[in-house]
Amino acid sequence: MQCANMLLRKIVRSSVLPFAAQHGMKKDFFPLSRTLSLSLCLKQDKSCEPSEKLDLDEWKKVMKSGLQEDVSETVSEPKELSSLAAARETLEMWRLAGRAVPENISEEELKTFMECPSKSAKKKYLKYLHLRELHKKSHKRKMDEKRERRLKAQDEASNADEPKKSSFVYLSSKIMDQTYNWRAAQSMIFGQPLVFDMSYEKEMSVREVTNTVKQIVLGESFNRRTVDPFHIHFCNFQEDSLFHREFVKHYREAWGKLLITVTDKCYTEIFPKDKLIYLTADSPKVMKEFDHDKIYIIGSMVDKSIKTGVSLARAKRLGLETAALPLEKYLLWNTGGKNLTLDQMMHILLTLKDTADWKKALEFVPKRKYCGFVSTPIKELKKTLDLINTLKLGKRRGEVEKQFAKNHPKKYTLK
Amino acid sequence: VEPPEKPLQAEEWNKLREDFRSPEIFDEVMLNSMIRCNSPIEVAKSLLSHMAKRNGDIAYNVLIKYLTLCVQQGQVAEIRDVYDIMKVRFKILESGAYNLLIRGLSNSDQWRMALTVLEEAKKIMVPPRTCYESCIKAASRHQEMNLAFELYQEMLAKDVVPTLDVLQSFFDFSRGMKGAELQKQLFGILLYLRENQIYPHKTFMRSIKLWFESIPGENWRGNLTSIKDSGQCPVCKHQLEDSNLTEEEYSNLSERIIKDVIHGTDTFRKTSPKEFEAFQTFVENRLPFDIVIDGLNVSHVKSRKLQCQNLSDAVNSLAKDNARLLVLGRKHMLTNSSNWKREIMKEMENKADFFFAENISEDDAFLLYATLRSGKHCRFVTRDFLRDHKACLPDTVTRHLFRKWQRGHQIVNMLYKVQKKSFSSVFSQQPAFRYDCVVQTTGDTWHIPYKDVFEEKYSYQVPRKWLCIQQK
Repeated sequence: MQCANMLLRKIVRSSVLPFAAQHGMKKDFFPLSRTLSLSLCLKQDKSCEPSEKLDLDEWKKVMKSGLQEDVSETVSEPKELSSLAAARETLEMWRLAGRAVPENISEEELKTFMECPSKSAKKKYLKYLHLRELHKKSHKRKMDEKRERRLKAQDEASNADEPKKSSFVYLSSKIMDQTYNWRAAQSMIFGQPLVFDMSYEKEMSVREVTNTVKQIVLGESFNRRTVDPFHIHFCNFQEDSLFHREFVKHYREAWGKLLITVTDKCYTEIFPKDKLIYLTADSPKVMKEFDHDKIYIIGSMVDKSIKTGVSLARAKRLGLETAALPLEKYLLWNTGGKNLTLDQMMHILLTLKDTADWKKALEFVPKRKYCGFVSTPIKELKKTLDLINTLKLGKRRGEVEKQFAKNHPKKYTLK
Repeated sequence: VEPPEKPLQAEEWNKLREDFRSPEIFDEVMLNSMIRCNSPIEVAKSLLSHMAKRNGDIAYNVLIKYLTLCVQQGQVAEIRDVYDIMKVRFKILESGAYNLLIRGLSNSDQWRMALTVLEEAKKIMVPPRTCYESCIKAASRHQEMNLAFELYQEMLAKDVVPTLDVLQSFFDFSRGMKGAELQKQLFGILLYLRENQIYPHKTFMRSIKLWFESIPGENWRGNLTSIKDSGQCPVCKHQLEDSNLTEEEYSNLSERIIKDVIHGTDTFRKTSPKEFEAFQTFVENRLPFDIVIDGLNVSHVKSRKLQCQNLSDAVNSLAKDNARLLVLGRKHMLTNSSNWKREIMKEMENKADFFFAENISEDDAFLLYATLRSGKHCRFVTRDFLRDHKACLPDTVTRHLFRKWQRGHQIVNMLYKVQKKSFSSVFSQQPAFRYDCVVQTTGDTWHIPYKDVFEEKYSYQVPRKWLCIQQK
């Protein structure tokens, strides 16, 4: 009898029951269990009765019915969990509760999670892992779809079976790479140096360092593909630093063959000081034009919590000239920090080098950060913008107008 | 979606589900709207039963939603049932469930059960303060003050910051009770307010007052008042603690300012070692100053006037009584320009000492240093709230010290019109606070500042209203 009950519970949980109940098979299906068949009978009868007689606690029975065997299984397990296992358990519960938690988490990530100093830091880290997991999944799905499509296309192509004739030589990516490398090699001899200052590792968190490396890798690949690349220097680069490890992770064996100069020396040791210009958004000096004789330095630093003056301090300490991009002069700034990513800087500098056209170069500033290019002098535009804003808000309208009329009697006539 | 008014049959649920635009999330959406509309528990039950029949199981997040509804309506028996099911079903629960269970159970006659749940939650995490809050309130509601205080101490030991509500409930529920231990504990709470510079709000203040007045045989009387600038309480004529820092606090603060604000991670970020050294020798040779002025800040007070004229107004009005002034500025002020006239600058230099920092240096850091070096009597003039400098300080204790010192030494200048017609400006000064604005006691009196509204005010503002309690 007991065995039968156990069996029945399993059946109940595995959702055969509802199926059975719906089709009225239960009477000959469960001849052994009195309680169950009774409740099933009730259920059958109920369907035609008014809803007040619904067994509202039935869900509890269902929930509990599956429990006993679970318990007997878990009892033998040791009650105390190791801290790692406990964390894993907590994560699982959070996932069940519908929070942004990754489905799979590695031992290493779990340790990072446990080392997070606060609850919000933990939450943030989990959300990051969760999103990363989602991205990976959707990427994989897309790749699979693509492969399928390609296979289909191939099938069709093989059916057609017609040799293609083309007057162009097919350039394989290998040949392209050779060309790029040739140019990069030339730049290493004749090219204008561009320095990445790799001395900010201590200032950054692990994630910021990985982001920095990603940005540099992007910038480097773009540099390699241009007609006239920079000769890239990584200065203050320490062996076996986090930077080093991250670069190796990205480039793998290509790291040793990269056509750039990597050194643990400071740029002041390699180049004459008066030729160096440190690019930093905090600089009081604004860059007027790109100088082909100077050596520009970019600080390899991602600061998610904007730390002002860190790279300016470094330039000040070494007594170097500094410069900032003339963003204010050419763009009507909207929101966001004036500090740009390293690959954006690379794009801008390369464009400047080739064309000396600020407008073209500053196209690489993210569109969300500015409203548009400035055609009229910036000061006047700003004033009108301020005026529009005040008028929009409807605050002190008369006052503003009066002040304007007073300050700019001829230039501005309000309509 | 509108939840139905009475329990539905499985078929009816099925129909609703199929009509819904995305059936896979129907259950969740439905339960959410039940919580929002506070639907009868039977309706939710019928949905759960339907789900159990369909899937043979009910997901954890659905159980949580159901639990939320039960807690919302105070259905204790249901809460216990759900708890039993969860306990057997899952090895541990997560914070959301614990939170709900504790909240639900602590409001019932089964409040002791909330304590067991709390114990369970402690095994996997530091319980959030709301959990402690529910338990403490439940314990004190049932006059178990010892238990409540035990939990309170435990919470402090775990660096969980108690809500004002919890603190208030201690005073509310101890009303009329006698006991030296209890009294000591409640005084401890008042000292906690003092140490953390927390100001109770009006209702909390009233609870404190009523508690004091209800202690049998001790004859405390409370009065609401506001304290004059002199720092004397108008009710009991008692002089409040002055705002001066102790020697130790003072040297501690100056040390931290130099270390964390001026130097920070890199001296070059705010100044340069060479410049700072030059400034140090400059200050040491001329010490002590009475008033240090942030030249650039003061010069922007009135936008209609020339910047150097603004500054000169300020210097002239402060230069009375042979006060020794120091004006801090930047080098660009020295170049003759439309805003900075050389003659006026020359004229001012007779009345005050000037130090010009590099254009890219931060003069605020120098302002703090010069004022602190001059000694306790020295004050400074700026409209800046100095929030960013406070933020450079590493711990709350030093930040509180900074605020206290700032309150006592900062002069916020205001220019206002005397007459409607002429816009002649008069430089007035808001006196720096002479008394310290914290909860304080002398044994037979208590003075407690309070705020009118519950909302947090700005950290530089202090309440002007006080509760004066004295023993007759």
